[in-house]
Amino acid sequence: MSPPAEDGTVLESVRRGDARALEELYRRHSSRLYALLLRMLRETADAEEILQETFIDAWRRVTEYAASRGSVEAWLITIARSRAIDRIRNRGARLRLVKQSEQLAPAEAPQPEPPDVHAQTRLRRALGTLPPEQRRALELAYWDGLSQSEISRETGDPLGTVKTRVRLGLQRLAELLAG
Amino acid sequence: MTHQEFLDQVDAYALGALETPEARALEQHLAAEGPHPLCEAALARARETVATLAADLKPVSPSPSVWEGIARGIAQGQEPAPRTPASREPGTPPRERERVRAVRRVPAWTYGIAAAAVLTLVVSGLQVREARRAAALASSSASECARELADLRIDALRKEDALKLLVEAGTQLVSLKATPDAQGPLAQSSGVVIFNPRGRALFLGKSFPGQPTRDYELWLIRGGKPVAAGLLPTGPDGRVFADVRPELLTGGRPAAFAVSIEKKGGTDSPTQVILTGAVSAP
Repeated sequence: MSPPAEDGTVLESVRRGDARALEELYRRHSSRLYALLLRMLRETADAEEILQETFIDAWRRVTEYAASRGSVEAWLITIARSRAIDRIRNRGARLRLVKQSEQLAPAEAPQPEPPDVHAQTRLRRALGTLPPEQRRALELAYWDGLSQSEISRETGDPLGTVKTRVRLGLQRLAELLAG
Repeated sequence: MTHQEFLDQVDAYALGALETPEARALEQHLAAEGPHPLCEAALARARETVATLAADLKPVSPSPSVWEGIARGIAQGQEPAPRTPASREPGTPPRERERVRAVRRVPAWTYGIAAAAVLTLVVSGLQVREARRAAALASSSASECARELADLRIDALRKEDALKLLVEAGTQLVSLKATPDAQGPLAQSSGVVIFNPRGRALFLGKSFPGQPTRDYELWLIRGGKPVAAGLLPTGPDGRVFADVRPELLTGGRPAAFAVSIEKKGGTDSPTQVILTGAVSAP
């Protein structure tokens, strides 16, 4: 049995119009994307809708993918988060979500799959080493879809400070995860 | 934008935490200022880190209906679209303008099914989300319009009015796209006209930035000349709903609709057109 093709190879088939290749990408990445969308949007119907839109968008814009700008998975996550942020902003309820995020446990997982424990451990360890304010800025941007200006308003910190926290936080995280 | 400025902001960009003008500036830097491997490598690293942030989540299997919807969607869309020089990165807010759709004609029956589904659910008091989903099953184009309707925070009577127009024979959707004059936040604006040549047209808009000293004005273009069709009242959330005066539609089929931004009170001739959309031939 031959090993499964790399995502990049599968994406090449998508680029040629092979719908089965898109289905393969969906099989590989949908459960992680869906978990991400559930966490961001906190509603099953919205998460499903955005997941659909993500893969339809990937199909339509596959020629825009550039490997030099990240992996296929990162590209799909970028599309999914981008659309989720749009949805959050359209709801006009960002602040409500921020408050909810402080109170609620992560969204229920209807059919959990085995997590990548190693990746989880590394991420938790890395996040744990960040200064709390950097971590908070990243979380507000990542999970709640807030822009830096909105984080500044939400936390009361100067915009420049927020920008620095986001930049340093993500860079530090990258170093920790790479090492 | 310099390479250093790009590098300073690329993390926030990958997180989706930049405001629209900032994000656009980064995209323009990547697209127009020649090869820059350092910038691309920084973007790749930031994206990978952002992607890793989701590693802490337990994967969750979506329902089988999600893939079924995707399969339907790509079947309708045919082949992947060719790359265009102006294509945008998928990582920046607001992505809504990518959803601005070209003028299209949709068979009336699809409006009927979609709108009936929406109308039934709205009237029966179910969630708008359910209405969207029902509409999506009927027709993508008509349901997109229905979704825009559902998104608008307008009162139920107006919504019902729009849905009724949607199902009338001959009704056409005219999507209005941003023009090059729509700079900054204006570029996010979009609109659709639900137009029936028998004398009814409704304008629905969203993402219209508040203009304390100016007004948005709707135009219809007929015989190469703009005809003022009224000022557009903007809600606090940037949404617009306007009913075009029927008498303006009796002088023949307009060739296009447009929205401009003008001094307070409007003008006789548009000066800064921000949205346009052509009416297709009968």
